[in-house]
Amino acid sequence: MLFNSVAFLLFLPAVVILYYLLPHRYRWILLLGASYFFYGSWKVEFLSLILLSTVVDYSIARILDSWRGLWARRALVGLSLIVNLGVLFVFKYLQLFLPDVDPMIVNIYTVDYPWKGFLKQAIYFSIPVGISFYTFQTLSYTLDVYHRRVQPEKHLGKFALFVSFFPQLVAGPIERFGRLMPQLNTKQLFDYNNFQTAFRLMLYGFFLKMCIADNLAPLVDQVYDHPDWYSSFTVLFGTMGFGFQIYADFAGYSLIAQGAALMLGIKLMDNFKTPYFSPSIGEFWKRWHISLSTWFRDYLYIPLGGSKQAAWRWAIAIMIVFVVSGFWHGANYTFLIWGAIHGSLYLIERMLKPLSVKVPQTARKVLGAILIFILVQLAWVYFRADSVHHAGSVLSSLIRSKGTSTLQIPYHVAIVFVVFILMEIAQYNVRVDAFLGRFKTPIRWILYAAILWCIAVWSGLTNHPFIYFQF
Amino acid sequence: MPVQQHIVFKAGVRLVSLIVLVIVFNAVYKNFLWMDDLDKHGPMLYNLKQVQDTSDIIYFGESSNFTTAETDQSTAAISEIVDDAIPERVGTINHGAYHAGMYLPLIKQIDPTSSVKKVIVTMNLRTFSQDVIYNPDEASLQQAARFYQPAPPLANRLFAALKYYDSKGGHERDREKWHAWTYDTLKGNETHKFEPNTIRRWCEVDKFIDSNGTVDMHKRILADQYIKAYGWQLDSSNPMVNSFDDIVEVCNEKQLDLYFLILPENTEDARAYVGDNLVWLINQNVNWLVNRYSNNAKLINCIHDLPAEAYIDRDKIPQEHYYDFGRRKIANKIIGELTEN
Repeated sequence: MLFNSVAFLLFLPAVVILYYLLPHRYRWILLLGASYFFYGSWKVEFLSLILLSTVVDYSIARILDSWRGLWARRALVGLSLIVNLGVLFVFKYLQLFLPDVDPMIVNIYTVDYPWKGFLKQAIYFSIPVGISFYTFQTLSYTLDVYHRRVQPEKHLGKFALFVSFFPQLVAGPIERFGRLMPQLNTKQLFDYNNFQTAFRLMLYGFFLKMCIADNLAPLVDQVYDHPDWYSSFTVLFGTMGFGFQIYADFAGYSLIAQGAALMLGIKLMDNFKTPYFSPSIGEFWKRWHISLSTWFRDYLYIPLGGSKQAAWRWAIAIMIVFVVSGFWHGANYTFLIWGAIHGSLYLIERMLKPLSVKVPQTARKVLGAILIFILVQLAWVYFRADSVHHAGSVLSSLIRSKGTSTLQIPYHVAIVFVVFILMEIAQYNVRVDAFLGRFKTPIRWILYAAILWCIAVWSGLTNHPFIYFQF
Repeated sequence: MPVQQHIVFKAGVRLVSLIVLVIVFNAVYKNFLWMDDLDKHGPMLYNLKQVQDTSDIIYFGESSNFTTAETDQSTAAISEIVDDAIPERVGTINHGAYHAGMYLPLIKQIDPTSSVKKVIVTMNLRTFSQDVIYNPDEASLQQAARFYQPAPPLANRLFAALKYYDSKGGHERDREKWHAWTYDTLKGNETHKFEPNTIRRWCEVDKFIDSNGTVDMHKRILADQYIKAYGWQLDSSNPMVNSFDDIVEVCNEKQLDLYFLILPENTEDARAYVGDNLVWLINQNVNWLVNRYSNNAKLINCIHDLPAEAYIDRDKIPQEHYYDFGRRKIANKIIGELTEN
């Protein structure tokens, strides 16, 4: 069930109404049932994986709590890693080792590698959505229990709800047990202010997804499908277009998730904070996909030694974190390169820091933001391209014009894009709900009406799901 | 005012405002933007609105109507040839890859006060196959069909944006197609036995291997495409059959004379590449359609009317694209049926 679907717009109010009608002690059952329904609506078979992850991590955490031996505890954590990452490996990364053939004809025409073909097809037909998100969420729980940062959950049903809580199940934000579980356990009372905030978050979230991401998607696809047909300027537009598309797609999803959860009284963490205004790469990663960045910081970077080690070891740790973060997105070398680019930029930035010249702070912020924006957009080419070769042809078309075709940009796309840019500038230091709350009622309602108009009349009609669902 | 009453009042004001807003939005959209949107996203309804007041007959077709070859002497579409030959005015609604599920909402939109008295709807046999029913491109067709629904224009626009249509992705459709190829079984008789009895197994059978063991992959792939295109048996659960049933019903309600045009298929090559069993299936399916619809529509059956040389893409794919002499032959048969009645 997609957020931007009629089914979800009926499902969410039904769940919210039932939630507040039910006594607190039964609410977890409602939310768990709703979450499994939400996830199972893609394909019921997907539930088996989430159940496996739930049972394994619940059991391991309970045993971890009672065992004292260091090696035994490490072995248990190892088991959790093997199961969770093993599932992730099978569904996301095994295809790297399988032949590059069309899975729809592999068993019909291909006699050279029948079992590999069968495997390729089996994976193709059963790739679950959002597997990387809930896998990381459950892994963080087991690691937190291992490090005794949290007490293990004794109630299997409530733990299952933590793993599968529907607003953030398929694309985050990746929540920590210590933050989400207490909220799920608390009796949430109906709060009008929560609904007001939730409405604002969801309204802007839908605007980002439906008006920006879905309108940019077909334009970006045209450029990426045939970069050699277009002039450098058009390819530049396509490259930057993807940067805005992925931001609007993912930030929009996160805002809708936050809004949906807030209607149930649950506050999810912010996942984006106007990242394209970041004056440095370090700052960018504090503002982009924050729940994943902080996950890697806490569960990979710090265990690798963090900043308290020799400079060369620290640099290696940084590169490992960025490359693994790239690889988390999918089984393609392009993601590795994308991660490596960001890692290298981060290291270069840190190395140059002592040499930085004295510039007024405002100018430094503006110039830094422009520079980082350009570098991040160029790095996105590897994220969006289907292969390293494809990325190369996009970059080469960016440097040297190869064609004369032009893109037809509908007038309404230009209008919604201007609205988007103005809204983003206005939100530089404040979340959208607070920004909208600054206005007096008549002005605020005019803004609501304008956004609703954009959604109702000018939203994109492309049939793209949320980009991060594939991860 | 008590707090709860206050909240209910505030919510009520917002709800009423929203309803007013939606009504205003719909009026503005319908009067200023709808036709542009139809032109882009639901072009055939746009065309229908243009032609229904200037046509006595509307021809609903797909690419078979307008596809031409470079060597064609004439590029006239089938419906244009018919239009030139009879006194009644023939309007054309055609779009590549359209099928009964797309024609149905359009026929529902024909204005009963318009000049249209007859409709000709193409029956492309391949559109009943799993290969077409589960085609990955179906989602984009269904999005267009959303615009053809009889609902307020703004609602259709918003529903299309919210994917309120059969918007399953290519992945899911591929899975369903593979399932059908694997489990939909073929039932033969004494003369025509099907072993293997599924499309998947039939395709997996070795074909076109010479004495050295070398496979002629071109012929093999073509043979398998013919199996996928025609290796199935019709029954009333087929979604295209349901759409054709509904078309019959709608035409009855609107008192429109309905003609089903069964398009020619390349049965000569089907026999050459796969064998008699496949042609037997084609004939069986056509007979099934004739039996089902001959009482409530006029059937123009062209299934075997064209030789293999009439098919433009015969070396690439089984497809209903005909050279000009083929289009003219089909048109003549339609003209014969129309003038006879």
